[in-house]
Amino acid sequence: MVLISCVFFLPESLAQGPPINTETPILLGLEGGGFRTFGKIVSTDLGTTYIQPLAIPYNLGTNFQIGVMQPFISIYPKIGDNNSGFGNLSLFVKQMLFQFDSKAKTFRGLLKYTQTFPTGASSVSADNYSSQFMFVAGYVNLNYSLNGSVSYTFVSKNLPDNFVYDFAFGYPLLPQKYPPFQLNLYLELNGQKTLKINKNLLFLSPGIQLITSSTFLLESSFQIPLVDDSGIIRNTFSFGIRYLVF
Amino acid sequence: MKQTKILFILFLLVEVGISFGQSKEVKIRVDGLSCPFCAYGLEKKLNDIKGAENINIDFENGLVTMNIAGEKNINKKEIKDKVKEAGFTPIKVEILDFPKSSENPKQ
Repeated sequence: MVLISCVFFLPESLAQGPPINTETPILLGLEGGGFRTFGKIVSTDLGTTYIQPLAIPYNLGTNFQIGVMQPFISIYPKIGDNNSGFGNLSLFVKQMLFQFDSKAKTFRGLLKYTQTFPTGASSVSADNYSSQFMFVAGYVNLNYSLNGSVSYTFVSKNLPDNFVYDFAFGYPLLPQKYPPFQLNLYLELNGQKTLKINKNLLFLSPGIQLITSSTFLLESSFQIPLVDDSGIIRNTFSFGIRYLVF
Repeated sequence: MKQTKILFILFLLVEVGISFGQSKEVKIRVDGLSCPFCAYGLEKKLNDIKGAENINIDFENGLVTMNIAGEKNINKKEIKDKVKEAGFTPIKVEILDFPKSSENPKQ
């Protein structure tokens, strides 16, 4: 049960960057229609959890996106049986709120709503609904990017709501050109406060991202807990790909 | 006489070929071009324009250049709409005549 809670308490582990663990308000290119998957390993004092989500966003026009996310979760406790299965399904929508463009730079903001349903296997997922409301803003130019988000999640069945905040700084190592071949470094802060029980979690997340073409990228991130009121999380590691199909 | 007729027909065929092959260069100033992986949608939208080819994107100067072949009247509004549909802000569209063939058959 504690390891299932680790999945539940993970701060925005299923975000759709770039950046890697933080949302972005840009709905274009590799943020748009396609699929994203990554493997995330969460190491704790009680065991290890492996999460493999598959997210498929689709743009309806320039300013609106819908999507679905289905994770597959495996739990390997130090004591007890291993368990694997599909986690809870989430549907999401994004609506652009503002867009200020100038030469080689942009500042944008959007709202995202995510609804999670208790469709997953009981051995690996919590049996509750959750509704998340998120505001995302980002400033991107050719030299760096800044993205951030704040969100509030309402959780059913008297489980505690949570407040999540993320911030990411991105730095391209190669000159920006098209067709793209980019190597980006990211440094992110991903935090969460679980209300009612008043538990805090904050990760420092360095990451690297290789964009090999207009339609494909590879990325990897390591999350180091700076604050962990649960006292059990050691670190997390993720490796993923993104492929644009639409 | 027969030779003159053949030469004349050949000349007409080349002139028609040249006029069909005439291509115009289009320069588009675009704002918001800040990330190369975002620009794929812009290339796709501009490729929807009939005759569009050789699309180049210059991020530093916010400039997109392309050729449109075989079209006498290029619709600037259509180009601007395509840029907006791709999620960027079009500032200015310039159309320059750019003959595709540089050979003169009369010489």
